Amino acid sequence: MRLLVLTVLSVALMVVDARFTLLKPVRSQMSLVLMQSYWITDLPQRLWQGVASQFGSRTELIAENEKLKTEALLLQGRLQKLAALTEQNVRLRELLNSSTLVNEKVEVAELIGMDPNPFTHRILINKGERDGVSLGQPVLDARGLMGQVVELMPYTSRVLLLTDSTHSIPVQVNRNGLRAIASGTGNPERLELRHVADTADIKEGDLLVSSGLGQRFPAGYPVATVKEVIHDSGQPFAIVRAVPTAALNRSRYVLLVFSDSRTPEQRAADAAQVEEGAAPPATPAAGPATAPSTTPTMAPAAPPANNGHEQHPAAPASHPATPAASHPATPAASHPATSAPARAATPASHPARNAPATPATPMAPATPQGAH
Amino acid sequence: MVNTRRNHGWIIWVTFLIGLLLSVSPLPQFMEVLRPLWLSLLLAFWCLNVPAKVGMTTAWVLGLAEDVLYGTLLGQNALILSLTTFLVLSLQQRMRMFPMWQQSLVIFVVLGVMQLVQLWLSALTGNRQPTLALVLPAVVSALLWPWVSYGLRGLRRRFNIN
Repeated sequence: MRLLVLTVLSVALMVVDARFTLLKPVRSQMSLVLMQSYWITDLPQRLWQGVASQFGSRTELIAENEKLKTEALLLQGRLQKLAALTEQNVRLRELLNSSTLVNEKVEVAELIGMDPNPFTHRILINKGERDGVSLGQPVLDARGLMGQVVELMPYTSRVLLLTDSTHSIPVQVNRNGLRAIASGTGNPERLELRHVADTADIKEGDLLVSSGLGQRFPAGYPVATVKEVIHDSGQPFAIVRAVPTAALNRSRYVLLVFSDSRTPEQRAADAAQVEEGAAPPATPAAGPATAPSTTPTMAPAAPPANNGHEQHPAAPASHPATPAASHPATPAASHPATSAPARAATPASHPARNAPATPATPMAPATPQGAH
Repeated sequence: MVNTRRNHGWIIWVTFLIGLLLSVSPLPQFMEVLRPLWLSLLLAFWCLNVPAKVGMTTAWVLGLAEDVLYGTLLGQNALILSLTTFLVLSLQQRMRMFPMWQQSLVIFVVLGVMQLVQLWLSALTGNRQPTLALVLPAVVSALLWPWVSYGLRGLRRRFNIN
């Protein structure tokens, strides 16, 4: 009897929790107490780190200090150039009448736990709703995108990593702007690009950056590097495997990106203003027939969404790149592809990318890429 | 007498608290798949030995706590744990007669069935998991059962929990 009551109660709870937001406050209240257990289980490691830093030898510390100083110097040097480049970028965008790149604000959060379920890739971080974290917010580490916030609790939040098998992110190849979708595989060291044409210009070592097209992730952050491209003539698409650039299972400190502080209404008004001025010159610049249809329709639709603003700078940046890079390659590649499918596509596209290696062997261009 | 007995009831809750901590404690990557079902083991022991104090309602509340910790749908683990307790309680009279290895076997079967229910529920919510690895926690838990059982029995004698 009691079993029946409890079963019905659990099923009812599950349904309500899945369909409505009614149980959110209950969950967040319970998590206030229960999330301490992650903190407690993390305590030994914290203590060990504290002890290790207490007894770290002086010479070691001095050496580390030196190393950090040189690193800071290098980074600052690069930053000077970056400031100039940012300035130039802004000016060029003004010339194009497109909206300026938003400088995203970031905040550091600390990892407090991994999800105990080995089949999902989720982590817990120590910033929550009270710290201004919002649902769907992107999370970075020092080297690239890590994932997005999927569950909010008052002082903690759960982050779904890129490599979870239920996660996908729109990316583009940094070299030529080729767009694709990178899906997680459940393996912490692997992403897969879905539905990439066999003739697409993508090769080992390519950097994939977020394209911002899903309006969830800001554009231009590194996501993964392509590890292998397999052309199997039995498959309709090329198999492209990539390794995430972020240290998904090693980073202890992560960055939360706060992309835009304006309200959706303000953003809509601003975007509309920009759109009025930008619409005539932007359309011819975008080029091929696909671009004019997407750009004007996306822009008014984008502002109410979360990262709608990044959508706009991404579009003009990627469209001129697409005809320049992939279009000359595609006709050249498609002719041999019909006679000798899949294999011939690789050498045909490489001369276009000024690869110095011989086009006779498909594997040869890959080796100098992998070496450096 | 009654007073002291009630005072020692909290030991049960302390073990449950430790069980909750153990079920989220960080483990090396390869051992994550083998993580024993600590709460199920503790619940099985306590409801075999002190069925007056620990029952399905306790299991349900603990399951809710686990749901919040794991970020699953509220009620999923609650359902699993109360079903586990129900099975163990219905086998209680027989299990108390069994030698330890046979008890382990029963625990393995019960937890294995519950893992299958777990798979079914998570498939409904869209998180499908590789099927066979799911039984591993049940195996590890069954292997741990004698030790957990002896340890908790000692605890129970020491604090005289009835």
